[in-house]
Amino acid sequence: MYELTIIGGGPAAIAAAVYAGRKRIKTALITKDFGGQSIVSDDIQNWIGDLGVSGFELAKRFEAHVRAQETVEVFQGEVVTQVESVGGEVPQGNFVVETGTGKKLETKTILVASGSKRRRLGVPGEDEFDGKGVVFCSTCDAPLFKDKDVAVVGGGNAGLEAVVDLIPYAKKITLLIRGEELKGDPITQEKVQSSAKVEVLFGAVTQEIKGDKMVQSLVYKDKKSDQTQEIAIGGVFIEIGAIPNSDFLGELIERNSQNEIIVDHKTQTTSKKGIWAAGDVTDVLYKQNNISAGDAVKGLLNIYDFLHKHTQTEAHK
Amino acid sequence: MNVTIYSTPTCIYCKMAKEYFTTNAIPFTEYNVAEDDAKRDEMFEKSQQMGVPVIQIGEKILVGFNQPDVEAALSQSETDK
Repeated sequence: MYELTIIGGGPAAIAAAVYAGRKRIKTALITKDFGGQSIVSDDIQNWIGDLGVSGFELAKRFEAHVRAQETVEVFQGEVVTQVESVGGEVPQGNFVVETGTGKKLETKTILVASGSKRRRLGVPGEDEFDGKGVVFCSTCDAPLFKDKDVAVVGGGNAGLEAVVDLIPYAKKITLLIRGEELKGDPITQEKVQSSAKVEVLFGAVTQEIKGDKMVQSLVYKDKKSDQTQEIAIGGVFIEIGAIPNSDFLGELIERNSQNEIIVDHKTQTTSKKGIWAAGDVTDVLYKQNNISAGDAVKGLLNIYDFLHKHTQTEAHK
Repeated sequence: MNVTIYSTPTCIYCKMAKEYFTTNAIPFTEYNVAEDDAKRDEMFEKSQQMGVPVIQIGEKILVGFNQPDVEAALSQSETDK
């Protein structure tokens, strides 16, 4: 029986695991891989203590930091598929965490730090042309669109950053935004607006991605005129935000309409006794690496208090 | 065994793949398709798609870096010898 199971491998999970190690809590950490969503970032410039670090480098440091914790057992390459509450409420009962490879871990408490995944448009052609001009990793694939006309969908930071990734390569970049204004950081907005290659379409709702072997055009509806337009492009970069990875929890804990786990922001507790959550999977207002790490530490300290109070296991007797 | 990787300098999964080959002492040829247009076209031709990395192990073409898939292709390529 583990005292704690941490689900995830991003900044929230790692921060909690490091504190769990220091508190000598018998912990399992289950993750597909390390680094979280920033892993694809070429240069993270706001991780405290680092002027700049690549997502790849940060992921390696995360892994090393976790593996240095004696009381934390790492299950890498595993995805949690189900969480079950057994034997009544904790501290009497416990949870069983099941993974995709059929492992079943018994645990007294859980910290859900499973983050979020890319939101998709859900329009015809999106799946069909995934990898054939439809791109979800702009830092990876922007250089392949040299001298091409491309579209970027999404007006938040990620959309603007995709445009910035494309400016050195693409011939023309059309940025399609559903709303009426850009939302990202002012610095990135300036970069986007100062490029002659970029055209921004406001109130543009993507309806379909068309092509043959590869993407050839994008169809959108202009909200003002209610007219449908088709633009010829060789690539579509989709950057429309994220959805929380919380499906594996089933009906166990309360979530909001966005599927984010509702937490008490003082302690990171959820509606289910014995389960805490932190990071992008929660209803935290700002999704940031530093905030995820801090919130997870908050949660971990509260978990420690809980375990200590109930002197559940050998380590705390 | 012939291992080829088509990559871009900013692609994290390309770096992971290259690090995997280096760590396991597997020699590989790398093409930077951000610069090399002929190799970019060759990559499209072979993989029928335009995402990096594309990894060729023997005759097998893999899109993206998934370690178990790479390991399977490597052992298959050994058996074929």
